[in-house]
Amino acid sequence: MRSLKYILRRLLYAIPTLLAISILTFALSRLAPGDPVRLFTFGATDLTQQDIEALRHTYGLDQPAPVQYGDWLWSAVFFDVGRPPSLASQSILYHRPAAGLLFERLGNTLQLALAALLLQLLIGVPLGVIAAFKRGSLTDKFVRIFAVSGHALPTFWLGLMLIYLVSVNLRLLPSQGLLTIGHDQWDIPDRLRHILMPAFVLALAGIANYSRYLRTETLEVISQDFIRTAHAKGLRERTVIVSHAFRNALIPVVTALGGILAVLVSGALIVEQVFTWPGVGQFTYAAVRSKDYPIVMAGVMFASTLLVLSYIIRDIAYSVVDPRIKAS
Amino acid sequence: MHRFARTTSRLIAGIAVASIVATACAGQPGGGPEPAASAETPQKGGRIIEGSFADIKTLNPMLTNDVPSSNVTGRIYEPLYLPDPKTGEVKPNLGKWTISSDGLTYNWEIDANASWSDGKPITGEDYLTDVKAIARSKATVRKSNYELIEGFNDYCVGPATCKGTATAISGIQVDKSNPKKFSVKFTKAFCPALVNAFGTTAGPLPTHIFGKYTVDNDPTKNIDAAPENTAPTVASGPFKFKEWRKGDQVILERNDTYWKGPAFADQYIFKVVADSTVLAAQLKTGEINYGTIEAKDFDDIARQENLKISEYQNLGYTYIGWNTKSAGAPALADKRVRQALAYGLDMDLVVKQILFGHGTKMVQHHPPVSWAAPDPKTLNQYPLDKAKAEDLIKQAGYAKGSDGFYAKEGKTLEFSIVANSGNKVRETLLQVATEQYKGIGVKVNPKLEAFETMVDKLTNGNQEIQGWIIGWSLGIEPDPYGIWHSSQIPDPAKKTTGFNFGAFTAPGFDKAMEDGRSPANGDCSQAARKKNYETFNKTLNDEQPYNFGFSDNRIAVTPKSMRNFDPGPFSTYWNIEKWWFKQ
Repeated sequence: MRSLKYILRRLLYAIPTLLAISILTFALSRLAPGDPVRLFTFGATDLTQQDIEALRHTYGLDQPAPVQYGDWLWSAVFFDVGRPPSLASQSILYHRPAAGLLFERLGNTLQLALAALLLQLLIGVPLGVIAAFKRGSLTDKFVRIFAVSGHALPTFWLGLMLIYLVSVNLRLLPSQGLLTIGHDQWDIPDRLRHILMPAFVLALAGIANYSRYLRTETLEVISQDFIRTAHAKGLRERTVIVSHAFRNALIPVVTALGGILAVLVSGALIVEQVFTWPGVGQFTYAAVRSKDYPIVMAGVMFASTLLVLSYIIRDIAYSVVDPRIKAS
Repeated sequence: MHRFARTTSRLIAGIAVASIVATACAGQPGGGPEPAASAETPQKGGRIIEGSFADIKTLNPMLTNDVPSSNVTGRIYEPLYLPDPKTGEVKPNLGKWTISSDGLTYNWEIDANASWSDGKPITGEDYLTDVKAIARSKATVRKSNYELIEGFNDYCVGPATCKGTATAISGIQVDKSNPKKFSVKFTKAFCPALVNAFGTTAGPLPTHIFGKYTVDNDPTKNIDAAPENTAPTVASGPFKFKEWRKGDQVILERNDTYWKGPAFADQYIFKVVADSTVLAAQLKTGEINYGTIEAKDFDDIARQENLKISEYQNLGYTYIGWNTKSAGAPALADKRVRQALAYGLDMDLVVKQILFGHGTKMVQHHPPVSWAAPDPKTLNQYPLDKAKAEDLIKQAGYAKGSDGFYAKEGKTLEFSIVANSGNKVRETLLQVATEQYKGIGVKVNPKLEAFETMVDKLTNGNQEIQGWIIGWSLGIEPDPYGIWHSSQIPDPAKKTTGFNFGAFTAPGFDKAMEDGRSPANGDCSQAARKKNYETFNKTLNDEQPYNFGFSDNRIAVTPKSMRNFDPGPFSTYWNIEKWWFKQ
């Protein structure tokens, strides 16, 4: 019961946070110079002044900003309940609801984020543990250098370099897109070939982080008494690492997973751009450039909601692991 | 004209973007001569894969307002006419037409064999469905193309000119005895009407699919949210819709009932790529087999044994505009100063250095391949002549100061030029202009701004703008009214917008444009219109309200194995059903 109350309270706190984000995003997008209708009709020299005004009226751009915001809120959040459908949450360029357009691309972004997460866990975690157990060795030094450089490399640069090396020169992996032309949507091997490079680039900083994090955690765990006891009992090194040290070092990592997924989803923007990966980030970025306000709002609100929810899930996970957090 | 992507994507969309040059060198070999196509037997099969920097937005031609969407919908929906790819002459396609003696009524007959991919005949009713859909749509940008059709304004909704009271468009009549025939009556003779009201984005829409969305007696109903806008179920063009993988690719497959005969290629695929570098790389690897590259990639592509380059001038240009009414830069109001700015900038060098020679210097509005362009010999070509430039500046009352710049009444001859950041060609032009104008004693303050900021300032008539660099992309209809007429001067006080950013006017200038589009005798022949456009272009050539800059070439790349790819300045896809691959 107390847990349920805690969760509800956290969810309730999320509402004003998201509302504040939506107001801020709305204000920033409107304050930036440029008008979407003028932008997409630029060069359409046969349009009359009346045409332009009619289009601006269609999308409510001729209304005062607070009215526009209220219109968007009622349309996007309350689905136009109690009034005729409004175009306030419809894409200006696609003539369709922005949330639906985003949803069509969500699967691609989640695929990329999950693949990156998998790589982070599969590479970063073992690297950290190995480095801890071989502290001071060449392997440890290599992992530490890798961790620093992996964190420092800009993703767009790394992406372009990999495309140049792996795709253009070695022709090992495709450089762009989801699938090879002519391949079916469900051609999993082809999809994996396409996702490998962008997922690795997206994962690299996380791999570096995990390896450092796990190294520190593992070093802390292996210096504790129960590990010495395990050794004293004559257990094999492998058993000590896997069953005792690793499991204990991993607890904080598991609880942080929710937050990491949200960071990956929102951080995919640049990677999606470089690899023409048709996800939410790439789509929102294009909308920012073309000032398609409803898509910008939908994209930012989606990422924000995911982030807020993931923090709630993380806090709940912490509270499960360590009841002292809940008490505080 | 992808370099001007941000500008061109807002073109009079759907119009087959044309480009030019009589000297077009189609079929330049990449590595060696290709076999003569005429001796070969076409083979069926293969995919045409076009690379693009942006995804499509819609698959309904009446809603398109960007080049990618127009390119793809143009393969699904057949237009009534097609421009000749080399000359721009408008020729019958799905329909043929006659014009009444008073120039007001166009009588059309759709080809007897033309049918939708589900077997239903294409009729005049389908044209009416398209016009009605446009009239009632709230999202289309095409209403102004139809407002001269009798009864259109009574039927349409939206702009102030629309009443939305009628339940029919009286000017469009479908022949009851032969539904393939229909007539369209205009309220006045208007020469661009043929291209605008029957163009590539104004082809018939299937009544049996879209007819239900527009309700004659309910102006609130429209086609804007129809599911077929993103997944069309029937086609009249050489390809029909199969799948749209959002943000990645659009897949069309052969329409076997196409009225000109089925296409040779199995599929047409529109693939999104990140940028020009990726596009060039994918052409080399064969991941795409049709794309337009930038001049910087020309030599690299030309070295590829398997690729062929088709190069022709674009129907557009990049220019430096002058605000002739700027209070902050009064010198720009003086024709002699503007002429000096034409003499003082070596545009041939710019073409050579920035476009690597793949372009042409411009000294007037209409590019040379347009039928509306005057004989170049009758125009001042403004060759680089610094002495003459300085002489003209002196004639305007300026004297050179100790700082090397000209000045009058204590004020230095200076102004700002703004270009949109991120466009390397325009940024470089800005640098070159700043340097070279300094060489004739004119001080330029270069500025870079975001494209959207520039568009806002220009279209609203913001007087901060003194000089600017941007591009125009023109269509097959040469009517320059929307860019140059005095009614198109933006006025911040009246909150009116327009594309005559520099507020340029000259005696007889407006009349030349008005007569070019609506001649008093209704004569819309090219010869009659051309006289007006000669006057128009010569005025611009003399007055130099722009430094007209350059027109870059369109550099299309295909594999050597692709046959019958024969693009011209006015159309690329005109014979796409005949493109085939030699196995």
